[in-house]
Amino acid sequence: MDRRKFIKNSALASSLFFVPNFVKAFESVTAKQFGYKRLVIVQLAGGNDGLNTIIPHNNDLYYNARPQLAITKGIIKLNDDLGFHPSLSPLRSLFDNGELSIINNVGYPNPVRSHFRSMDIWQTASSSNEYLQSGWLGRYLDQHGKKPYNALEMDEQLSLAMKGEHFNGIATNDYKVLYNTAKDPYFKKVLNHYNDAHLSEHNLGYLYQTMIEAESSASYIFENTNVKSSQESYPQNGFAKQLKSVAQFINSGLDTKVFYTSLGGFDTHASQNNKQTKLLSQYAESVSAFVKDLKRNNTFEDTLILTFSEFGRRVKQNAANGTDHGAANNVFVIGENLKKAGFYNDLASLSDLDGNGDLKYNVDFRSVYATILSSWLNVSAEGIIPSKQKTLNFI
Amino acid sequence: MIQQELQHLYWRVGFGLNPANFNSLPKNRQQIVDAIFDNSKSTSPLKIDLSFMNGVTVKYLKENPKFAQELRVTSRKKLADLNYAWLNQLVDAKELLREKMTLFWANHFVCKVNHVVFAQKFNNTLRTHALGDFKTFVKAISKEAAMLKYLNGKQNKKNQPNENFARELMELFTLGEGQYSEKDIKESARAFTGYNHDFDGNFRFKMKVHDQGEKTFFGKTGNFSGDDIIDIILEDKQCATYISTKVYCYFVNPKPNKKHIEAMANVFYKDYNIENLMRFVLLSDWFYDDENIGAKIKSPIEYLIGMVKTVPVKFEREKDLLKIQKLLGQTLLSPPNVAGWKGDKAWIDANTIMVRLKLPSVMLNNAVISSGENDELRKKFFKKNKGKLPIKVTVDWNTFLENYKNINPENLQDYILQGNSNKGIADFLKTLSKTSKQEYCVQLMSLPEYQMC
Repeated sequence: MDRRKFIKNSALASSLFFVPNFVKAFESVTAKQFGYKRLVIVQLAGGNDGLNTIIPHNNDLYYNARPQLAITKGIIKLNDDLGFHPSLSPLRSLFDNGELSIINNVGYPNPVRSHFRSMDIWQTASSSNEYLQSGWLGRYLDQHGKKPYNALEMDEQLSLAMKGEHFNGIATNDYKVLYNTAKDPYFKKVLNHYNDAHLSEHNLGYLYQTMIEAESSASYIFENTNVKSSQESYPQNGFAKQLKSVAQFINSGLDTKVFYTSLGGFDTHASQNNKQTKLLSQYAESVSAFVKDLKRNNTFEDTLILTFSEFGRRVKQNAANGTDHGAANNVFVIGENLKKAGFYNDLASLSDLDGNGDLKYNVDFRSVYATILSSWLNVSAEGIIPSKQKTLNFI
Repeated sequence: MIQQELQHLYWRVGFGLNPANFNSLPKNRQQIVDAIFDNSKSTSPLKIDLSFMNGVTVKYLKENPKFAQELRVTSRKKLADLNYAWLNQLVDAKELLREKMTLFWANHFVCKVNHVVFAQKFNNTLRTHALGDFKTFVKAISKEAAMLKYLNGKQNKKNQPNENFARELMELFTLGEGQYSEKDIKESARAFTGYNHDFDGNFRFKMKVHDQGEKTFFGKTGNFSGDDIIDIILEDKQCATYISTKVYCYFVNPKPNKKHIEAMANVFYKDYNIENLMRFVLLSDWFYDDENIGAKIKSPIEYLIGMVKTVPVKFEREKDLLKIQKLLGQTLLSPPNVAGWKGDKAWIDANTIMVRLKLPSVMLNNAVISSGENDELRKKFFKKNKGKLPIKVTVDWNTFLENYKNINPENLQDYILQGNSNKGIADFLKTLSKTSKQEYCVQLMSLPEYQMC
């Protein structure tokens, strides 16, 4: 190896923390595959208050239950009954263009009001009395994935949703860092000597397996991502950064079917309005920029965006101008070819609540998943969604 | 006890064992375990400089909202100081087991507040009760200002109960999910109404907003107080089993063993004394079983502190410590949610494994791991670029060399790594040049094997 070449390689391999400004030719970007459907998940963690997101602006029960908390000003009325929280104005054009479908009252029987348990239920697609160790997207990978990078999470840690029985997606919030580290010559030697005869169940085997996957995936993602592909300007926040990375990957034609993003902080037990206003703005502005970015690159028509939260919040506000954990909630589906855009169904009754004073569900979240699997990703939900679910007709 | 068992014990009650200390330890298991508990009799509370709060009163804050805003910012900054102070304590602590237990309880009674005074107080409460009576411990936690803030206990009032604390008390702190009904939560939340704290973070009970009515909880009816509720919960042996399971998975093996956990629960249920439970664990033969040695994936904090205890370093910028914790996926005082860090395999994904494999060389050797390929050239190159490294540390190799001076380089792996290595890797290690103990140490720390303890 000559010195110049060596130094060039070393600079790439140097260390994980500083990312040099790469100058890399990108002629070899994979050809865009048309008709290659992708799914982007947006998780609103903490339990977003759906009633102050999609507001029943004509309903006295709503205002009576929330004397200090009801939104009274700036509601973006979408029909006679329901309207957007003012922060959602960037999504107005999506709604008007028929690119947004809002499914109300999504939930499951015997709802659990613990964040962790309910999030696990949503991520594993289990019933409330059933404990699954793998996620629904992980099981999709089990059946249809080939490489860990077929599912990417924009985070440091991988969610249960992305963990299959024997297949995991990849979590990365900076793929360049991942690549630089994986290229160290010592690691190459270690992997050449590693004897994987009987280790897969063991914790140490798991470490090696993760190291091997990290190495090959890091190379793939690094070599195939075109950093220049995103021209759109995004707002300055962590969530927007996640979506911007997703757009880069999609627009570079990466062989990735599922992307997972998350925005946290929705657990508004106290002083809800300021917090939620800020969070919903971050959400709407980022998603709006993301969709524009995809449209500019002609990739929007092959992308579906699903937004959910682990539960809604109690109809009645609490004493701290916040809301406690609730049950059924709305789900947003964003895409170009929606069968039923706008409101998929009416909001459930605010007078016929469950024993805790929460909205009753009438759409099972697993039927939303099943629909996405069969009508969007074109696979059978069997073995992925454990219970039999009917298909809905929003896509 | 043989070297391997000793190292195992010290990795679980602390962050590994320095070979220089082998000879000064007592000879048999009972004596060593006794010594570990003796050393943890005292408590060294964290005490950072909080003088910025001197003379501040509620009244003054109300009249000066701008100052109040600045104070909140200072408080958040001070949290970083508290984080560093805690890390330093973990490195230097005399009360090894008490500190390890404090770390354990911090991921059990999970709490996160920006108010640094409350955060420090809460942390010291964990330390005080770490080896004490669990019942007193839970009651103390229920009255901590930090917890009253974090799980909305302050907002739990007679006319508008807030169930957040009552739910987590049972789901996460004592019984585990599914061991109670929604009604039990509602009723017990009523018992905790009126819990509050004063400006300094001392517990205050506000009778006016306390619900004095009858509550029916776990089949019992009475005018229960919060303490009564905790007493009733602890009557259920499930609580002893739940805590024993958590202790087992943290201190023994992430894979629970029903028989051993049952034996632990029998000991714990007698008096809920944490020290007795821990003595039972550390004295049990099964604690030293082969299958438990090196079975645990180190938490980021165990990994970092263990490394620093082997090769002492001084961080030139304290901020780097926060950066490292974040990259590894565990920042003290900043848990992801009230369930805490999941631990075990959840520590490891494509990113964190790479950070862990690369960090020792970045910290200790200008990012070079010798590989026999262009080593000299690489060393030169990296040395020149040292200034660009994002972490600035001064490495004290002399202490390492002194502590390991009686260890033959050929055997260094037995002291740096815990448990069995992969067969292929063990053979690979034999082929490495061991002319430099330091470089071999960095090579060992850059292996997946080093992640185990």
